[in-house]
Amino acid sequence: MSEFFSMSGYGVYLWPSFALGFGVIVLNLIMALNSLANAKQEAKRRLEMNP
Amino acid sequence: MAWTWFHRLASPPHVYGFARRWTPWFGGAAAFCMLIALYGGLVLAPEDYQQKDAFRMVYVHAPAAWLSLMIYSTMAVAAAVGLIWRMKVAHAAAAACAPVGAWFTVAALGTGMLWGKPMWGAYWVWDPRLTSELVLLFLYFGYMGLRAGIEDPVKADKSSAMLAVVGVINVPIIKYSVEWWNSLHQTPTVMKMGKPAMDMAMLWPLLLMFVAFGLYFAAVLLIRLRAELLRRERNASWVREVLA
Repeated sequence: MSEFFSMSGYGVYLWPSFALGFGVIVLNLIMALNSLANAKQEAKRRLEMNP
Repeated sequence: MAWTWFHRLASPPHVYGFARRWTPWFGGAAAFCMLIALYGGLVLAPEDYQQKDAFRMVYVHAPAAWLSLMIYSTMAVAAAVGLIWRMKVAHAAAAACAPVGAWFTVAALGTGMLWGKPMWGAYWVWDPRLTSELVLLFLYFGYMGLRAGIEDPVKADKSSAMLAVVGVINVPIIKYSVEWWNSLHQTPTVMKMGKPAMDMAMLWPLLLMFVAFGLYFAAVLLIRLRAELLRRERNASWVREVLA
């Protein structure tokens, strides 16, 4: 198992690289969902103000 | 008849409904492909005879870099369609692309730096490929800054679309930088004429990861597009119906 994490000594570069790549993937999904939730809320508020 | 699909693309409620229906499918397929590709790349693929396990960084670096270019091209095409046919949905799609593209450019640069250090001895060199990819990041920033700086949405759409279309010249420069100039960066391994210079055991997880990143982008784009459409169409009657 430790052999897998060491990645023939390159783990110190490889794991941060994967963390960055997949971190960007998770972050972008969260940001997109937040943006949609905010837009929905804004639109609903507007509709309540002008029924 | 053949053009009805194109006309439907111009209809915000139609596009909103399409995006809502298809996002889970794209997202689910992306997650499924990504998990298999990760297992294939990190566990099943044999180590490289020169780079040992460091080569596995390709499974995150190459798809991120490809996406950074693919998203810019998508943005430029959407911006051009918006300019030519004055299609609001196309401008909304272009605007939805920009932040995602910028993030994947950051990922491509960052993962590249982490690969560069053990292989080249430096995190950064002012090499044609690296420099042109950095210019891509500034183009995304310029596009988003321009949009944010212009209050009138119609003017913001037009001006930013012009920038997106002009900036697309950087895409082939990035792609061919490694062939036109002396570059530390290696030349294409997969996307080249003829057979890919990679063994099948290493290649299939990479190809699957490209598919996964593409599907992921489709899902995130559709979510962002819905948000853009709701903001732009807030006075339209269809918004009341979809939020009811």
